[in-house]
Amino acid sequence: MTPADCRIHRGRGPAMAGPSIVARRGRACQARASVLLLFAALALSAQTVDRTKPPQTPPIPSYKLPPVAESKLPNGLGVVLVEDARFPLVTLRLTFQAGSKFDPPDMPGLAEAVATLLDEGTKTRTSQQISDEIDRIGGSIGGSAGADSLAISANALSEHLPRLLALIADVAMNSTFPLEEVELYKKNRTESLRQQHSEPGFLAEEKFASVVFGRTPYGHIAPTEAAIAKLDVKNLAAFRDSRLVPNNATLLLIGKLPAKDEVLKLIAQHFGAWKEKPLPSPPAMQFPAPSRQIVLVDRPGSVQADIHVGRLAPTRLSPEFFPLMVGNAVLGGGANSRMFKNIREKEGFAYDAHSQYDTHRDSGDFQAVTEVRNEVLEPALKAVLAELDGMAAKPVGNEELTGVKNYISGLYLLRLETQEGVITQLTTVKALGLPDSYLETYVTRVRSVEPDQIQAVARKYIAPAQDAIVVVGDASKIGDVLKKFGTVTVAK
Amino acid sequence: MKRIAACCLFLCGAFLARGADVTFPIESYQLPNGLRVVLSPDNAVPVVTVYILYNVGARSEEKGHTGFAHLFEHMMFEGSANAPKGTHFAMVESNGGVLNGSTHPDFTDYFEVLPSNKLATALWLESDRMRSLAINDENLKNQKEAVKQERRLSFDNQPYATAIVDVWPTLMYRNWQSSHSLIGSFEDLNNSSVEDVAKFFKTYYAPDNAALVIVGDIRVPEAKKLIETYFADIPSQPLPRRPNLAEPAGFEPHTQVYKDPLAQVPGIVIGYPGPMRRSPEYYALNMIDAILTAGDSARIRQDLVKGKQSVVQYEAALGWPFAGTLDYRDPEPYALYLLYYPKFKPEEIVAQVQEEIARLQDHPIDAAELDRVKAQLRASHLKDLESSLNRARALAQYAVTDGDPHLINTELDKMLAVTPAEIQAAARKYLTPQRRAILEIQPAPKETK
Repeated sequence: MTPADCRIHRGRGPAMAGPSIVARRGRACQARASVLLLFAALALSAQTVDRTKPPQTPPIPSYKLPPVAESKLPNGLGVVLVEDARFPLVTLRLTFQAGSKFDPPDMPGLAEAVATLLDEGTKTRTSQQISDEIDRIGGSIGGSAGADSLAISANALSEHLPRLLALIADVAMNSTFPLEEVELYKKNRTESLRQQHSEPGFLAEEKFASVVFGRTPYGHIAPTEAAIAKLDVKNLAAFRDSRLVPNNATLLLIGKLPAKDEVLKLIAQHFGAWKEKPLPSPPAMQFPAPSRQIVLVDRPGSVQADIHVGRLAPTRLSPEFFPLMVGNAVLGGGANSRMFKNIREKEGFAYDAHSQYDTHRDSGDFQAVTEVRNEVLEPALKAVLAELDGMAAKPVGNEELTGVKNYISGLYLLRLETQEGVITQLTTVKALGLPDSYLETYVTRVRSVEPDQIQAVARKYIAPAQDAIVVVGDASKIGDVLKKFGTVTVAK
Repeated sequence: MKRIAACCLFLCGAFLARGADVTFPIESYQLPNGLRVVLSPDNAVPVVTVYILYNVGARSEEKGHTGFAHLFEHMMFEGSANAPKGTHFAMVESNGGVLNGSTHPDFTDYFEVLPSNKLATALWLESDRMRSLAINDENLKNQKEAVKQERRLSFDNQPYATAIVDVWPTLMYRNWQSSHSLIGSFEDLNNSSVEDVAKFFKTYYAPDNAALVIVGDIRVPEAKKLIETYFADIPSQPLPRRPNLAEPAGFEPHTQVYKDPLAQVPGIVIGYPGPMRRSPEYYALNMIDAILTAGDSARIRQDLVKGKQSVVQYEAALGWPFAGTLDYRDPEPYALYLLYYPKFKPEEIVAQVQEEIARLQDHPIDAAELDRVKAQLRASHLKDLESSLNRARALAQYAVTDGDPHLINTELDKMLAVTPAEIQAAARKYLTPQRRAILEIQPAPKETK
């Protein structure tokens, strides 16, 4: 029960300028009026509050992100600075357009290997020296690769920002990929890949990606053992040298920072000598047209069937993004969604039943997911397909839609409590090439989605006529049941 | 909700505070019915955490009732007079919030993290179940089954879990209150009656045996009014007796072997009875733990994982496995848990760990290493307290265990003030083979189960 004042200035930065203030003020003051009334009532009758009903509460508060300052070094390195002085910490991301999308066709997993090995030794620091140095500044460091981008993530006590920047610059530019570290990585990654291939959920994700995205680079989500075996300092360094260049990178910093000029000076000092280079053109992406197909990944001995039903979907830049994202949440987002309530709670087919809409830079995918006991595969799959059809058949009711909008808006706020949370959101904006206003307008755009827009995108992307159905399970136990839904291709 | 403290197995670690860096505003008071209230406003982001700690855990259980505290925690999600079963989940999650509960040896907690306009909703939900929990046969039967299913999935079907939860406490403690299984036996769970649940509720789930902590985007006067409205007329109960946890004198060192049919890699637990909470040795052992295990440059990692290549992975904490430095309550051990390569013998791993401890006993830590460890402690403390939920957890612990929530602003100074001489002295006094228990967890062929 908090917005008892008109907190136009909510957040840590100055008020946003421009006409949107007017709209905000209106809403916030309405909230104030209702809160005051409610408190008047409470003061009069604390003993007689009606406990039989949930309390009336004001609308979800508006929230303004702290100011985001963007600039660029002459070598093309993008810089994003966010001052958040509540804790003497800094959190950093250095993100490159260098994700698994850029793996050579015969080297799936190369970007991931580069990301993981960057901090295992440079021209002037051993792996142990890097560990010692990051611990000494109260920090941590790690690399990772997604489909589109590769990122170095780090943090430290804010008084050590200069040392953090020096270390990150060294790791980004000067990794030597020492032989013994590369060999250790190959051993460990081969082991963990085998482990992943014993998990039905991973097998399903891997097959689903290859079916939906075809032979494009988005079609692989993991390395192969053959590709791991081929990793060496030469191909690792070649990938780094071609893609980990300043004109392909953004450095994001959030935390208790010195004055902006001083931070920029520090950044220029450590990253200024980094040479820009012409970038190789990104791979062409020709996605296969979605079509109904049933793929069964045989996993002998499986006592359950992992079901993934879905297809290609638009990117976040599409006008269809917000309606589909909200529609997806109605269908299968969280414990109040249709799939959770019907397939898990009502029918008891599965412990988990949800849907997900994931976006890459050049495409996206939508899927409904559940894992069911072998014996109930047929009714469960029918129930999933019926839920998908249901989204296209009728517009979502107002009450249900309001609930889902509150759910999405609340989740958004909860993600912004920590530096890590904020930088993750900002990194997504950069990694996916979204407009700067994306986060600022996110909640408003969620709120403005209408039932007919959801129905329109549901007909296009949620209705299952062109969906791939990927099932992981014991073919000898569930193969015949699956055939009732159409022609089945069995994959290993 | 579906979680006993063992879920925290991999979360234990330093959880500290330092006044010089950040000072959290705190207002604390008690309602006439005894409910302790701690408020800590932070209006930066419109999110609020409502956190309730009941001062009862598995160590309060009676013989024949193992696992009851956890079973009861499940019952707290079965509905109350005005918020029927499912209401908590529906109301919190439909607003993008998160909620849970967890059972620990000495306390049980429940929380909601929500957009801050929903503060009243969380208080309504929590007060309704504190006032009028729905206790009936059907709910109890459901939750007995749910707890058994949880035991099968999360313990009986997981490598190492049974050894750690059921066997390890019997090595560390000789007082039954501490040594019994905290998840409990199926037999005891089956024997629980509706009367048992009603009695436990009345005895322990009273406002005077609880603390309510609210952290985040609140206005203090409004929050106080809401708390008054929803909680003030819940009747207090006679304060329950805390269990007698005193351990008999004369701890004998011993080793036990547990054959684990689910384990692929051998594991070992090495533990030592620990010092009193907030005694000088408590702070020293916390520092020792950081020297051994915090960060990539920690001694266990550099010497055993990378150097000798004997250890695969490890964790350790004051209070391991069920507590950490923050919620450590006497008596607790300092314990290390290591998985290691099968080509090493368990006694070699013990010797390697004890060698690391001997280094601490024999040589004062040099200034450079101590500075590095202090930086790590300080940073991990700050990172932990960024989230309102973690701040609420810390405030509740300091309020209930130490009677002073303001310790959140000063404890880190004590943690960081530890000297090399104190480290040596604590290692010599506490971490000796004469006061050491060892649990070897050996992979066993399937048919032995």
